[in-house]
Amino acid sequence: MNPLDCLFKPRSVALVGASADEGRPGCVVFRNLRAFRGRFYPVNPHRTEIDGVPVYASVCDLPETVDLSVILRPAPEVPELLAAHAGKARCAAIVSAGFAETGSESLQREVVRLGRELGIRLLGPNCLGVFSPYQRLDTLFLPRERLKRPKKGNAAVVSQSGALLLCLLEALAFSGRGVSWGINYGNAADIDAADIYDYLAEERGTGVVISYLESVADGRRFVAAAERLAERKPLLILKAGKGESGQRAACSHTGRLAGKYEVFSSIMRQSGIREVSDFEELLDAGHALAVQRPSRGNRIGIVTNAGGLGVLAADECARHGIELPPLPEAVRQRLHENLPPFYSVANPIDLTGQVRDVEYLTALDSIRDEYDGFLVIAHTGVIGLSLRLAELLSAFRAVSGKPLVAHLTSGGITGGLAGRLEKAGIPVYPSPERAVRGLRLLLNNGEAPWG
Amino acid sequence: MGVTTETLRQFLAVRGNGGAFLEHEVKRLLRLVGMAVPAGIFIPAGETVPVPFPLPFPLVAKAALPGVSSKSDLGGVRLGIRDAAGLSAAVADIGKIPAAAGVLVEEMARPGVEVIVGGTVDPQFGPIVMFGLGGLFVELFRDVAFAMAPLDRAGAGRLVAATRGARLLCGYRGQPPVGMEPLLSVVMTVSELIGSGLIGEIDLNPVELYPDGALVVDAKMQLLPQ
Repeated sequence: MNPLDCLFKPRSVALVGASADEGRPGCVVFRNLRAFRGRFYPVNPHRTEIDGVPVYASVCDLPETVDLSVILRPAPEVPELLAAHAGKARCAAIVSAGFAETGSESLQREVVRLGRELGIRLLGPNCLGVFSPYQRLDTLFLPRERLKRPKKGNAAVVSQSGALLLCLLEALAFSGRGVSWGINYGNAADIDAADIYDYLAEERGTGVVISYLESVADGRRFVAAAERLAERKPLLILKAGKGESGQRAACSHTGRLAGKYEVFSSIMRQSGIREVSDFEELLDAGHALAVQRPSRGNRIGIVTNAGGLGVLAADECARHGIELPPLPEAVRQRLHENLPPFYSVANPIDLTGQVRDVEYLTALDSIRDEYDGFLVIAHTGVIGLSLRLAELLSAFRAVSGKPLVAHLTSGGITGGLAGRLEKAGIPVYPSPERAVRGLRLLLNNGEAPWG
Repeated sequence: MGVTTETLRQFLAVRGNGGAFLEHEVKRLLRLVGMAVPAGIFIPAGETVPVPFPLPFPLVAKAALPGVSSKSDLGGVRLGIRDAAGLSAAVADIGKIPAAAGVLVEEMARPGVEVIVGGTVDPQFGPIVMFGLGGLFVELFRDVAFAMAPLDRAGAGRLVAATRGARLLCGYRGQPPVGMEPLLSVVMTVSELIGSGLIGEIDLNPVELYPDGALVVDAKMQLLPQ
C-alpha cells in the first residue's frame, strides 16, 4: 500500500468544520461528502446531527482512525485542531487559508511540526483538497450547481492554484471529458507536486497528468519526480509567472541571464518534460493524450476538404517545427487514379467541397505508411459528408495505430460527428491551429520516452 | 570530492576570502583545473612594465577592476598593442582609472567561435551551469541554456545542444567545426566549480573555441554572498 493512498483513496473521511448553514463552505463540503463511497464523519462541537447524519464533537470521539481529515476552520484554530488528531487520522487536508501565503510563516511551521510529530501527512494549507469521481470524494467548497464536476476519466489534474484547479475541472466537464483525480496542493507545506507525481506515476487509473504550477521550492526534487512520472506516462506542465526575475544583483552575465523561468524551462526541456504555453494548450494537449498514446516522429499528413483551413493548419505546423513532407510520387500517382482530377493531391490533400465520406479513407489509406501522425479537417456543411465519416476514420485509426486528430467546422452534422469521433478516441478541436497543437503533443520528435 | 573541487578548496585556502577576485587570480585557478588561458603577466598598480617584456607582441592590456562587469565601458581594455612603447602608454593610461588594482597584459587570442560558460546559484535549483553562443547571441537573442550542476559528459552535451546557435559549433557555412571535447571539458569543469558550493558565481566570457581547443579569454568569479 502506498502511504499516500490515505489521501487519494481514503476509506474514511472526517470533516472538521462541518456546517448546517447554507452558504458556508462547511455545509457545501458536508453535502459533497455525503455521497462519498467510504465512511464519513462530520465533526462540529456545536451539533449532534446535520440532515440526519450524526455529528462528532471532536475528532477524539471518532470510532476509528480516519484515512483523511478535511480541516475547514480558521487558520489560528488549526494547530489545536490538528493536535487533537493524534492517532485519529493518517492524513489531513488543511483547506483553511491564512498561512505562509499571507505572511503567517510561523503558523505554517507550527502545523508542519505537529504533522511530523503525529505522523500525519498534510495537504495544503490553503488548498481545495481532492476531487475523485471514482470514490465520489469531493472536498471542493463550491456547490455542484455552481461548478460542474467532470465525469470519470484517466486524466489527473494537479494544480498549485485552487482557482486553476476549478477552471480546469470545469472546462473538462463542459467538454464532456473525465478525470481520475483533481488535486490542489496550495502552500505545499508537506505534500508537494513531487509527492503527487510519484503517486500518480504508480497509479494505474491515471493515463495522463496535467499540472499547473507557479513556483517550485526545491527544483531538483521536482525535476526528479517529473522525470520519473514522464517516463511512465505523459506529463504536461503549464508554468505561470514567466516574467518573474531571478532577483539577483549579479555582476556576471550568467547571473543576469538566469531568470527564474528561463532556468526552469531550460532544465525541463533537457529532461524531456513537456511544457505547454497556456491554459488552452494544457487542455487541448491533455485531451489528445487522454485518448491516444504518443508516438515517435515529427512528420504529419493533412487531409482536408477546405483548402484554407489546410493552409492555416500548415502554418501552425511551421510555427512548431512540425514537418509536412510532400507526397511520394508513387502515392501521388495512385491518388490521381483514384480521385477526381480537380482534387489537390499534395500535403495537405484537398478533397474539395465535392468530397464524399469514403474519399477521406482513400486518401488516408494511401498515406498511412508515409507519416507519423494525421490531421483530418472537415467542413461539415458539404453535401457528400455524413456521420459515416466517423466510422471510416475510427477504422483507419484502428489499422494505422498512429496519432490522429480532427478539426470540424460547426455545421449541421458536426455535433453528431464530433460525438462519434470522440467516442472512438479521436479528439476533435474547434480550430485547425488547436488541432495541430493537440497533435503536436502526440508526436515526440523522437525525444520523450513516453509509451 | 573531485580533483577540481579539491583544487578550488586549496586555491581559496591560500588566497583567503578577502575582496573580489581579479581576472588574473581567476585565470590562475582555471589553469590549475586544466583550462587553457592566454599567457599573461599581472602588473600591480604603481609597478613598472618589465623591459624587455617577456611576451611576444601583439598584446592586450586589461584593467584589473574588482567587481566591475564591463571593463571596456570604463576604457579599461587596449587591444592590439604592437610594441614596447605602445605597451608602456597603455599601462600608464589604464593606471589612471581610479579603481584599477593593476593591469593584466596578455597575448592576443586568435579569433574562434565565441561562447559563454557560466555558473550561478539559482534559488530553485541550487548550483546551475549556463552555456550560450557568445557576442550578439547572448546580448541580443539571449540564446542560452541552463542545467543543474554538476554535469557529466552527456549532460554537458545536452546543455550545449539545447541552444539554437549550437549548430554554429558544428561548422556552419564552410567554417571548420570546433573541438567538442575541449568545450565539454570546460562545461564540466565549470559545473564542478559551481557545484562545489564554495563559490557563488563564475563567468567565462568569452571562451574562444577552435577546432583543436578552447581558450578562456575573460573570466570572473565571486564568492557566495555572506
